[in-house]
Amino acid sequence: MKQQTGKKDSALYVGIDLGTSRSAISASNDIKDWVESYVGWPKDFIAAKVLGKDVLFGSEALENRLSLELYRPLERGVIKEGIERNEEAVRELIRYMIGLVKPQPEQKIYAIVGVPADTLKINKLAIRKAVSEYVNSLMVVSEPFSVAYGLNLLNNALIIDLGAGTVDFCIMHGSIPDENDQKTILTAGDYVDEQLYSYMSEKYPDSTFNLNMIRQFKERYSFVGDTEEAIHVEIPVNGRPVMHDITNEIRRACESILPAIIDTTSEMIARFDPEFQAKIKRNIVVAGGGSLIRGIAQYISNALKEYGPCNVRCVEEPLYAGSDGALKLAADMPEKYWEEL
Amino acid sequence: MMKLLRRETQLRQTLLKALYDENLRVIGKKPATKASRFPFLKGRLLFLYVMLLLFSFGYTDYLNPLVSSNDAVINATIQHRNYAGDYPDEIFPSDYSSLLNETAVPLKRVFGLEVKTIIIDAGHGGDDPGAIGTLGTMEKNITLDIAQRLKERLEEHMRYNVLMTREKDKSLSLKRRIEIANSSKADIFISIHVNYLPAKPIDIIETYYFGPSSDENTLRLAAKENEGSRYSLSDYNEVIQKIGNTLKLQESRVLAAQIQKNLFLHMKTLNKNVLDFGVKRAPFLVLLGVDMPGILVEVACLSNKEEEYKLNNPNYREDIARYLEAGIIQYLLNGRSNS
Ligand SMILES: Nc1ncnc2c1ncn2[C@@H]1O[C@H](COP(=O)(O)OP(=O)(O)O)[C@@H](O)[C@H]1O
Ligand SMILES: [Zn+2]
Repeated sequence: MKQQTGKKDSALYVGIDLGTSRSAISASNDIKDWVESYVGWPKDFIAAKVLGKDVLFGSEALENRLSLELYRPLERGVIKEGIERNEEAVRELIRYMIGLVKPQPEQKIYAIVGVPADTLKINKLAIRKAVSEYVNSLMVVSEPFSVAYGLNLLNNALIIDLGAGTVDFCIMHGSIPDENDQKTILTAGDYVDEQLYSYMSEKYPDSTFNLNMIRQFKERYSFVGDTEEAIHVEIPVNGRPVMHDITNEIRRACESILPAIIDTTSEMIARFDPEFQAKIKRNIVVAGGGSLIRGIAQYISNALKEYGPCNVRCVEEPLYAGSDGALKLAADMPEKYWEEL
Repeated sequence: MMKLLRRETQLRQTLLKALYDENLRVIGKKPATKASRFPFLKGRLLFLYVMLLLFSFGYTDYLNPLVSSNDAVINATIQHRNYAGDYPDEIFPSDYSSLLNETAVPLKRVFGLEVKTIIIDAGHGGDDPGAIGTLGTMEKNITLDIAQRLKERLEEHMRYNVLMTREKDKSLSLKRRIEIANSSKADIFISIHVNYLPAKPIDIIETYYFGPSSDENTLRLAAKENEGSRYSLSDYNEVIQKIGNTLKLQESRVLAAQIQKNLFLHMKTLNKNVLDFGVKRAPFLVLLGVDMPGILVEVACLSNKEEEYKLNNPNYREDIARYLEAGIIQYLLNGRSNS
């Protein structure tokens, strides 16, 4: 990301996407990185000794979860204890992520933080508080909006952000999206996992698997529509690894969220006048981890076609679409605005 | 082309400025926009107003002890799984953690602070025993007991008005249930039932909202649960076909999903063999009739003998009530996206 003025070069601009399941950061020094949104503190001092750390993040935290108090701070809930610990988890996560992009000592940091669309209803102030310790100035923005800004989709477009806990829809029509332009539904990635779990339990009652394994299968093999080849995975049965065909289960689970997505899409588009409808339909973009489901754009596009031509595509880098957009916002933001914040 | 570019630059500037203003407001550096809903507020101002409103909800809620006590209640429910030592902990720690991760509980999100009215419908009653287990356990008694427990649990929150279609063992037609629900002006309708699947020795949990279905088993179940009405499904065929994707339907689906998710994931920790039959549509007349979002949940399976034993244990029924509560609360706190 290029900076326009010499003055700006002295500061480090960062775009952060704080997700429920994954968080990413993009910085103006061209460093990007991501982490699974888990923060864990050792349960007791023995655990702390064994782990050799005061706090663990991402996959490392997940791997050691039995010795940790584990938080997924942006999930709509806490697992234990109260709100303070959750806010602290956000604070730790931010500190860690800013560390990942290696700011110079004393370098000023200006940050735009994208949060799940429904976090706007929670407590933006708490998020500000958590972030502000580590940056000189910051702004909080809703995630689909930063994705749209990053892709230069300021007008005539619909963003479908398919995350873990929610699918967020956002229509861009040349102004800041208002209440009517955004909608959230709850059957998203986690729901696919649950469906897959139940289909597989039904088909293979004697096999041993858990939700983490299920999620890995999904992320590895997800698809909708037709597939060229069958999907086989190894799962223990009575302690022995056995190959299981899960092709249909994967397809059914992935497709289970599509009717609601398609309904919501056509319903949101239908609110606009026909000319605008036609334009939006040529500009539908699927983002978020769910956009990696093979065939998803084609499937949605086929389903919407009966009401006229449409074009659905997936973002190129779902992991960084939000943080890159936030970085672009940060870089474009006039200097004087930063000073006020 | 130039013009287009200029327009885009302008648009960008407007968006950046609006974002900046909104953030200023969050930290209280600018006086709040007057909270009124005039047409001229459309567009940018409306957006800011909405943000402000949402923010202030979030904020009040953050300070609201009621909500944290909700959290405590629900958290307690999650931790409480090894009750009375009756049911061995059959689930592996790794399963358990991942299950916990999946069953998030609401933190501090509310979309309104007004009191919500919930109406609970205990299935069957009086002359209509519903399903009967091999040990003689009657569905009507189980549904009433769970409904009462659920009512008490919800009332402890001090912010819900909780009503029941019946509080005793008495006959009640579907028509009467619908009338009671509609005249109560409740916000949501929860009908509690217990499944009976004679052909299969399995144990399932499933939640329904109203809609057409082509699945034979579902239709059979609907015919059974519709028995208490003087109508036949064919009387409603036209309505069923016509019912579109209304707000009530969408809300019912979200409510059903929250209840199914909470009930199943938690019950699974107590009973490894329980299967998730998910959220389904079915033409239950009682759900068609009520004006508010409504669901019908089949909380357990009386045809399964082990399950019948468990249903006779008050702790087990309390657990079911607790997880129904968790689903309802989760819906009320986050469920509706646009309302
Ligand atoms: N290849 C994949 N196929 C299907 N789903 C995926 C894939 N990769 C990630 N996901 C799912 O995407 C969701 C996370 O998406 P993300 O946009 O990071 O969500 P959030 O913003 O909620 O953190 C998870 O449910 C994850 O399992
Ligand atoms: Zn019944």
